[in-house]
Amino acid sequence: MVEIEYVPTICPYCGTGCGLNFVVKDGKIIGVEPYKRHPVNEGKVCPKGNFGYEFINRNDRLTTPLIKENGEFRQASWDEALDMVALKLKEVSKRDPNKIGFYACARSPNENIYITQKLARVACGTQNVDHCARICHGPTVAGLATAFGSGAMTNGFDSIKEADYIFCIGSNNMEAHPLFGRKLIQAKKNGAKLVVVDPRFTPTAKIADEYVEFETGTDVALINAMIKVIIDNDLQDDEFIANRTKGFEEMKKVVEKYDLEMASEITGIKGEVIEHLALEYANADKAAIVYSLGITEHSHGADNVMSTANLAMLTGNIGREGTGVNPLRGQNNVQGACDMGALPTDYVGYRKVADEKTTEWFNDYYSCDDWKVNLPAKPGLTLVEMMNAAHAGDLEVLYIHGEDPVLSDADVTHTREALNNLDMLIVQECFLTDTAQCADVVLPAAGWGEQEGTFTNGERRVQCLHKAQEPPGDAWLDWKIMEEIAIRMGVPKSLFHYESAEEIFDEIRYCAPIMAGMNRERLDTPEALHWPCLSEDDPCQPLMHKDKFAHPDGLGVFQAIEHIGPVEKVDDVYPLLLTTTRVLFHYHAAMTRRCETLDNEVKTGFIEINTKDAEDRGIIDGEIVKAFSRRGEIAIPARITDDIRQGIVNIPMHFVECAANVLTNSDSFDPKSKMVELKACAIQVEKFENKVEIKSRVYKDGTDRDIKAENISTTTLKRED
Amino acid sequence: MAVKVNDMFYAYSKQEDINQKGEYGGVVTTIMKYLLENNIVDGIVGVNQGCDIYDARPVLITKPEDVIKTAGSIHFGTLNLAKFIYKYLDGARDMKIAVSCKPCDAMTIRELMKKGKIIKDNVIMIGVNCGGTFSPVAAINMIKEVYNFNPSDVISEEIDKGQLIIKTSDEEKSFKIDELEENGWGRRENCQRCSLKIPLNSDLALGNWGVIGDLKGDATFVEVFSDKGASVLNDVIENDLIAFEQPDEKGIELREKINNSMLMQSFKKKEIDYAGTTGDIIDVFHKYEDEFSRCMKCYGCREACPLCFCEDCCLEADGPEWVPGGFTPAAPFFHLTRMVHMVDSCTNCGQCSEVCPCEIPVAKVWSTVNNKIKETYGYMAGFDTGSPIPFTDHVSKVKKL
Repeated sequence: MVEIEYVPTICPYCGTGCGLNFVVKDGKIIGVEPYKRHPVNEGKVCPKGNFGYEFINRNDRLTTPLIKENGEFRQASWDEALDMVALKLKEVSKRDPNKIGFYACARSPNENIYITQKLARVACGTQNVDHCARICHGPTVAGLATAFGSGAMTNGFDSIKEADYIFCIGSNNMEAHPLFGRKLIQAKKNGAKLVVVDPRFTPTAKIADEYVEFETGTDVALINAMIKVIIDNDLQDDEFIANRTKGFEEMKKVVEKYDLEMASEITGIKGEVIEHLALEYANADKAAIVYSLGITEHSHGADNVMSTANLAMLTGNIGREGTGVNPLRGQNNVQGACDMGALPTDYVGYRKVADEKTTEWFNDYYSCDDWKVNLPAKPGLTLVEMMNAAHAGDLEVLYIHGEDPVLSDADVTHTREALNNLDMLIVQECFLTDTAQCADVVLPAAGWGEQEGTFTNGERRVQCLHKAQEPPGDAWLDWKIMEEIAIRMGVPKSLFHYESAEEIFDEIRYCAPIMAGMNRERLDTPEALHWPCLSEDDPCQPLMHKDKFAHPDGLGVFQAIEHIGPVEKVDDVYPLLLTTTRVLFHYHAAMTRRCETLDNEVKTGFIEINTKDAEDRGIIDGEIVKAFSRRGEIAIPARITDDIRQGIVNIPMHFVECAANVLTNSDSFDPKSKMVELKACAIQVEKFENKVEIKSRVYKDGTDRDIKAENISTTTLKRED
Repeated sequence: MAVKVNDMFYAYSKQEDINQKGEYGGVVTTIMKYLLENNIVDGIVGVNQGCDIYDARPVLITKPEDVIKTAGSIHFGTLNLAKFIYKYLDGARDMKIAVSCKPCDAMTIRELMKKGKIIKDNVIMIGVNCGGTFSPVAAINMIKEVYNFNPSDVISEEIDKGQLIIKTSDEEKSFKIDELEENGWGRRENCQRCSLKIPLNSDLALGNWGVIGDLKGDATFVEVFSDKGASVLNDVIENDLIAFEQPDEKGIELREKINNSMLMQSFKKKEIDYAGTTGDIIDVFHKYEDEFSRCMKCYGCREACPLCFCEDCCLEADGPEWVPGGFTPAAPFFHLTRMVHMVDSCTNCGQCSEVCPCEIPVAKVWSTVNNKIKETYGYMAGFDTGSPIPFTDHVSKVKKL
């Protein structure tokens, strides 16, 4: 007789954190069904929610450790693989802990991430631990922390339904955070006006009341000009500015030169439209700002973020329902990865590395008689810096927990060279991704549905996950793998042994005051708990900065910000500005491209190009064209559309066979957040003289034949000189 | 005695534990347990409480001792078990099951039986009356904002005399359901339109409506609708598992009155919902053009629809270039295609609207068109009447000599 069970879980794709039910038949996950009881999404999900489980039981899951010998992987026992990794980490960390780096996995539960940073800090003695937030919402964490004292979304998701006016800039949430998109639809039904500002006429723009097209990377100029209009019309909230903020005068001085003419010149938006936006935002009782990677993924990402904070504080649109600065966090648990201290500057709970006392506290907490931890009170390397250090030969070992930088980091060629330059690359994964293929040791890990733990969504809601099936083959829980490595490195069990994920969470609560009140009984409910949750009777409301900001003096800080614009400007050779995006049906690659239904929707990449730009080049729709930048060159099908501004082209980042990141620029750092400019680089698009074919990946059913077919790498073409 | 079709009884369980835990005498649970214990069925399909009373989860129970777990009503559950049966239990092809069904479960199961997706001979349908259901999160919000109760203190909900009564262990409050629904609270939109409150298309229908006198609150009103239902009830009575008596005449009248007043409410709602179009597909699509323009092609409506059952759906794979892959909002053909494939059998069960992330009133659109089909062809989806499904079957007019 069959056994069927529903096991509630949280979606592993975007930061909205929707609830789902796994359908488990005879111990195997066979589908998902709506979880109508869940407060975030009420049983509704996007395509990824409906079909994103299809990868789970594929035959190409990693089921045994792999060790590379003479360029080929061979299967290995856990003992052999773990000893090899532990020995290497121990040897290098004794010599120079700074030669080791860790990438934590923002898709993984908090408990795994906490253990990743603990392995780095406690076993290896290095602060070199970071994760993909760096190239996602790193500027949010840095920018909002500067402005408000906390780098998180200021309001809960449902708050948006109470807004009167929604200013959505650089967020295509109907594709990237679809169930937040639903809340915009609900807000509109409640009477809110929705304005979308984006270089592309996105599906989100299509549900708006007003859409404003503008030039990529000119957000600061736009917002400065809006601020000037508001001040010129005396619409600022003087009381709020006086009582709750500082730095207004300095900011005012800078925005004064951003008159409509100048801003219009920079942004490509008509002066009267900028004025209209400013007046409507300022006149609304409850105005909310929604943004995402369109704001952050620039070399001036933190400036963009702080500009949105300026605008909100100027008009007192913060600390109330229906207002706020609402960055939509990318990955399902990228909020958690930041919270867990997978940052070179922060321990768990945003306790600062640079603070001597804090570092002393952690050194003490993580030490015992047989193991002394002596971390420096000096931040380690960021994700991009680690890759650059590897490239330069200054990093020997990189431990990648569930990330795929070959695909997702800027400049694929640079990334591959960097990884090849390491003494040892360790990758802990569910699939043999493009990054795992570069590894020396691959450690097979349990995935979504195969473990207990917690995810933290973009509104800081920490939600419990439950195990629905056993991991395949000999795959292990991530934290168990890392615990074993630490123990083999000599860390005593008293410091590094856990019986369950819950036990790890208890340690997190102990170390992170913002989560101290999260007892299991309150946490393991559909509503779960938002941080800050300081005590067990804390109501844990999602709204932040109600009466004061999170800075020690309680004041918000205006920042005087000048427009800089993209590092790489278009010129005659590279006349098009490339932006990179995501599509609704995929989330990166390793998981969604292995989901048949999602793969059916979008099988490979494309470059969106304006009708006029295509016409100028004699390109027809669907034709495979050559796209090239100073970094490299790809072949990619053209998608001709009027939904993108002339002069701008767009490539979704999921498809390694025509990878956007072959073209992007890894040298263009944001000094404030170490972000690279993923959303702007100069390229050219041309017709091929001869017919070109793209070898698309075959992800049919995960049989051996398929895996071999996957061994094709990025289609990069040599440039003709 | 021999139970016959159309018989009516007041009944309650003689099994103490079930009587205590079940509602109104625990007859459904008693019947289910009997069927399983005596190997008349291999499994029971019912609804369990998940994390709390707002979380309904479908279950397949195969051990008699587990049946009691499904006892009692799960308030605010909005499942349709038909899909569960054909999708996860292979349509009861290789097992005999008994299923507790609300009218919309029963209607959908009937349609799927006609289409060969659920095997009729293998299913016993134990119907339960339903005055409408509430989506859990909407209900929680209503209870917080309108009733001023802590949702976790609520122990039951009931619609009586046009009032929605919510009870905690020490307090109860009621509001007029009409007024709640005018303000966007209340039952799911499809339930407000629903024209079947007593599942007379099941084998048996049970509910508390019409139980008056001494047994009020302690017994269930049972009506028999099929020979299968008669035989099940007969067996349970003969085995001395339930006590029964003839219903009070006034009780029968009261039950009819409750049913009629609910149907009248639904009738009014339908008039409002169907207004403004002829009900013809093109006309209806034109009316809802803006709503469809938000579609993010999540396939949620297809996934939730119990009547969308194709193994290979023509809307995906290398499928239609008229609904090209990867583009959103999805081409209107997406919904048009799905509609022509199943709208003749649509039972207004509301699953589609409930899962739509784009706030498209899918069930309302489908119901509008289905109503036109009903008017034109006289076909009533959800009943075992033997008449052909308009767009699924041809009726041959050839005279057989």
